[in-house]
Amino acid sequence: MSYESSEGNERIRREARVVGLRTFSTPSLEAVERRRMQLWVLSALLLISVAVAVALLSLWPVAQRSNNWLLSPRVLRLSIVCLAVAFSAYAIEKEMHLGKLARMLMDERVLTAALTNRLREVSLLLEAGKAINAVLEASLVLDTILRSAVELLGGTSGSVMLIDGDELVTACAQGNASAEGRRIKLGQGIAGRVAVTREALLIDGRADPEEFPGLVERADSPDSALSVPLVSRDQVLGVLNVNAVPGRVFTEYELRALNLFAEQAAVAVMNSRLFEAERAHVSELLELDRMKSDFVALVSHELRTPITSIIAAAATQRRLGIEPHQEEMAQIIERQASRLHAMVEDLLSQARLENEGSLPSAQPVDVAALARLSARDFAVSGRIVEVDGPERLVTLGDPEAVRRVIDNLVENAHKYGAPPIRLEIEEVDHQVRISVLDAGPGIPEADRERVFERFHRLGHSRDPGLGLGLSIVRGLVRASGGEIRLEEAPGGGTAVRVMLPIYDEDREAIG
Amino acid sequence: MRSRPQVLIVEDEPDVLLILRLNLEAAGMDTSLAADGVTALRRIERERPDLVVLDLMLPVLDGWSVLAELCSRGDVPPVIVCSAKRAPRDVARAEELGAVAFVTKPFDVSVLVGTITDVLVGSGWHPEVELGPTPVPLDLEGLEGLEPA
Repeated sequence: MSYESSEGNERIRREARVVGLRTFSTPSLEAVERRRMQLWVLSALLLISVAVAVALLSLWPVAQRSNNWLLSPRVLRLSIVCLAVAFSAYAIEKEMHLGKLARMLMDERVLTAALTNRLREVSLLLEAGKAINAVLEASLVLDTILRSAVELLGGTSGSVMLIDGDELVTACAQGNASAEGRRIKLGQGIAGRVAVTREALLIDGRADPEEFPGLVERADSPDSALSVPLVSRDQVLGVLNVNAVPGRVFTEYELRALNLFAEQAAVAVMNSRLFEAERAHVSELLELDRMKSDFVALVSHELRTPITSIIAAAATQRRLGIEPHQEEMAQIIERQASRLHAMVEDLLSQARLENEGSLPSAQPVDVAALARLSARDFAVSGRIVEVDGPERLVTLGDPEAVRRVIDNLVENAHKYGAPPIRLEIEEVDHQVRISVLDAGPGIPEADRERVFERFHRLGHSRDPGLGLGLSIVRGLVRASGGEIRLEEAPGGGTAVRVMLPIYDEDREAIG
Repeated sequence: MRSRPQVLIVEDEPDVLLILRLNLEAAGMDTSLAADGVTALRRIERERPDLVVLDLMLPVLDGWSVLAELCSRGDVPPVIVCSAKRAPRDVARAEELGAVAFVTKPFDVSVLVGTITDVLVGSGWHPEVELGPTPVPLDLEGLEGLEPA
């Protein structure tokens, strides 16, 4: 390009020297036109002068009377005509060069204008590229892409549509309120086709609904529009649409420019998605880190409480002698050691469920029998549970896990609810349903999901325990192929419903 | 100073209350019990104990609030904090709020009883009781505050 340009300049300078425009290092078209005019005026004046001279000579008496042949009218006329012919030849030659120079300068001007245009577009593309890469937040990226594209092409409105399943959804619109929130099926309308074919489209004139099935008819349809796919890593992310101002028609050149821009835009969209994913991941890690810190603080405090009692009870026995409180101190040690053991078991169960997610054994378990057994054991410590269920109802699972689920839910009902505590076992929708109902204050709907989170503790924070109970219960239920949820019990209070897969003994026996 | 100084034990863990009562009574002190911060403040106001053993993690009103309230009142009994919290900033904060000693859980019973005795002796008490088997009934009679869990 630079070589061609300098060669062109040299040719222009050469022609300029020939036509006497030496003073102009790069002559302007106007200077050439002025020189051409001067030449024409000079030529016209000269020819008029020659004509006048020839005419006067014919009438000049001295010449007619002269004996000198050099002054004879014939010789003089011939001389004048020769001079006129020579000057005309000179003028024609200069005119040819000036014409050539003018054409060259005209070409140069056209080329310069094209280059300037191209440079402006490249610079706009560069600026737009910088702008869309300067932001990472998805919504900002889309806004910047659309604004830059509309500005780049001098459009009036536009939209960015992103793929969501088998649809395109308007993620961002400018100057076209009706486009906001619009959803179209892939393959339908202009954008739908662009997303499927990955071919950029230039619409010249109003789009034909027959050519684009599913096209949304608009009263303000643009005279011309561009629609290009946003493709990154061979994956279509969406479509960028730009509409022309009324009366203007986009060119193939502009379609190519928008396509180039769309390549950068797609990368920016992809980057913003990666950024969002990364940000979510970081916040998840931070939350996990916070939970771990909370967990360490909670565990160390909760474990220290029974340890304090055990150590102090043992030390008291030693300090004060065996009698008279040996039995009481032994009971404290036993009670607090059991509490410590339960906490350690909870921690281990939670860790096992998180690591393995499944239960060791799966065998037919009579849930109704387990419920009655659990109620009997609670009754020993004076905690009454009313059981309502069939003689036998069987699930396929781990008997220890099912027993633990029932015990934990009944324990919670006693601890945080109010009697009467009811344990219902029934078959619902060909599943085993275990319900534990209490008549306590209930749990607000907003908190019902949170109680299953690890380390969430019901009631006061002074309640002993690690807040793992319901988290473990849900883990056990899910590992057994079931589901658990909290509801409001009929007549108030909390109802915990556990659904477990039913085990059809008759069918299995036949099978 | 009474011949048997009055010690208020503020603690929400029943077993710890029992053990502390047993050891302090055996060391020649009378004990009263509170299971939450509000009850503790009420008993301090009403009974003017010679010393308070205070846990920090308490229901209703926590130990920090009790300390702050006592700090603002002035003319209050010495307070020994007995808590599972053990960070240096917690110890410093307790001292700022007027605690005379900080014993961390799990505590050594002899150290805790010794610390309590030292503070009481500093206040003019002359212990006469020898350690040994005690006729003190082992129960939570007189406990005020929340029902123990």
